[in-house]
Amino acid sequence: MSAPTPSPDRTSDAAMSRRSFLRGCAAFGGLTALAASLAPLRELGELTSEQFLQKYYKEMTPEDMKKVLARIEREVQHQYGIRPHVRDLKPMDGVEFVYALNLTRCIGCRKCVHACVAENNQSRNPEIQYIRVLKMPHGSMDVEKGDHNYTDASVPEKGFFYMPVQCQQCKNPPCVKVCPVNATWQEKDGITVIDYDWCIGCRYCEAACPYFARRFNFTKPEIPPERLNTNMAYLGNRPRKQGVMEKCHFCIQRTRAGRYPACLEVCPVGARKFGNILDPNSEVSYILREKRVFIQLKEEMGTSPRFFYYFDK
Amino acid sequence: MNPLHQHPDGGNGVRTRYWLGGLTVGFLGLAAFFLVTANSQPAARPRIPLVDVKFLSTAPWRQTYVDLVKAKEDLSDYDCYACHDQKKPPVIRFDAAGKVLVPKEHANIVMGHGSHDRNNLCYNCHNEQNLTTLQVRDGNVVKFDNIPALCGSCHGPTLRDWEAGAHGRTSGYWDRSLGDPQRLVCANCHNPHAPRIPTREPAPPPHLLHGNPATPEAAEPAH
Repeated sequence: MSAPTPSPDRTSDAAMSRRSFLRGCAAFGGLTALAASLAPLRELGELTSEQFLQKYYKEMTPEDMKKVLARIEREVQHQYGIRPHVRDLKPMDGVEFVYALNLTRCIGCRKCVHACVAENNQSRNPEIQYIRVLKMPHGSMDVEKGDHNYTDASVPEKGFFYMPVQCQQCKNPPCVKVCPVNATWQEKDGITVIDYDWCIGCRYCEAACPYFARRFNFTKPEIPPERLNTNMAYLGNRPRKQGVMEKCHFCIQRTRAGRYPACLEVCPVGARKFGNILDPNSEVSYILREKRVFIQLKEEMGTSPRFFYYFDK
Repeated sequence: MNPLHQHPDGGNGVRTRYWLGGLTVGFLGLAAFFLVTANSQPAARPRIPLVDVKFLSTAPWRQTYVDLVKAKEDLSDYDCYACHDQKKPPVIRFDAAGKVLVPKEHANIVMGHGSHDRNNLCYNCHNEQNLTTLQVRDGNVVKFDNIPALCGSCHGPTLRDWEAGAHGRTSGYWDRSLGDPQRLVCANCHNPHAPRIPTREPAPPPHLLHGNPATPEAAEPAH
């Protein structure tokens, strides 16, 4: 038996056989299609191996955290051209935060909504806002009757009251229970936080929250650099990326440094009060003791909010 | 019949080249299409105007006497005896309905303290013996820089709330060991002559991801 020799016809017909040519074409086309299908990964250009291999927040040593904060500062500078000051502020001892909102005073001016956006570096387009102000008819506490989109020339309108709703910082938070990766948890000062580097964007928490407090970054957030707040915290207002959840965190970057939240400072009628409920001399202790504290919103849900609505008269 | 499945030999080399050339062009076209679409940007979102910075201001609505002194501003409004005579307390005149007739020199004052229109006497708060000071109803004199003492002489529960921090605006530090809170006084928000807070223009409503009839400007495409 002699070894089979290629047909003289084929070798004379083309230098390359038709089969191997077709294979080459198919392979080239397939590789091109694969590369094209992986193209969205290029938007993760900032995803370094350093970030990919980052440890879970609660397992990080101070040295690990230092490196992470330096990385975030680098990334923000790269993206916005401004060097931020990013800190990892821990809960203070003997402090549990409580928010009280005076429904008698609120005039529905929505300044808190926009002060929050400015403080916490939310995306301006698409717009992400942590606070929704409900315009509600007198005589009812039914949030179904609330209007988010009122466009009155001036507020308050007679016959209505205004109820701002934001994260209620529940003592029994349903959002934390449903998170499959422990990317959100309650800290000992009562603030429920999100690690934006750990969130997988499944939006279970958004569905679990009875207050519509959680927001999802459907697209890459857009913040004009001149409106970027450079005082940042890791669990707070550092810029988020596409595909992660965010929500009100009581302005961690301010409140854990002893300051009032931004929505409180901008409120023109002093309807918002904030403080340490474990301190009997704080404003919130006085309010819960002396005032007609009417509701914890949807208290029948058993979430036990740390956000109280009260009335003056 | 598909020529690819034909046996290659037997005189159809031209047709084979024709097909192979066509396939090459096809694949290259596909590759080019993939590369172009991989680089393209997602469809532009509608433009959303940035919120007016006036809605971000934390400044108080009004300036009190103390603020004017601090800012070294014009205090001529408080120089009562530039016009009035120290020895002759000005006489208050009323119309037929019992309302105070505001003289034209004080035309900027709107008399609106209380919805019942009964608290309409200047000397309920101003001191007729010395117009540069104020007085409470028991005769105690109060200076212009101590407003809460005057207002609180009638609005006791409100003064109590204000002292506890439950009424009025506060900014700065909730943790008094880390810094001082800044408190505003009554006249920073309330006009003493017409204390009810006037209505205001609200900031714009939310722009939703898929459009909101309340904010139609978001329906315009970006340029």
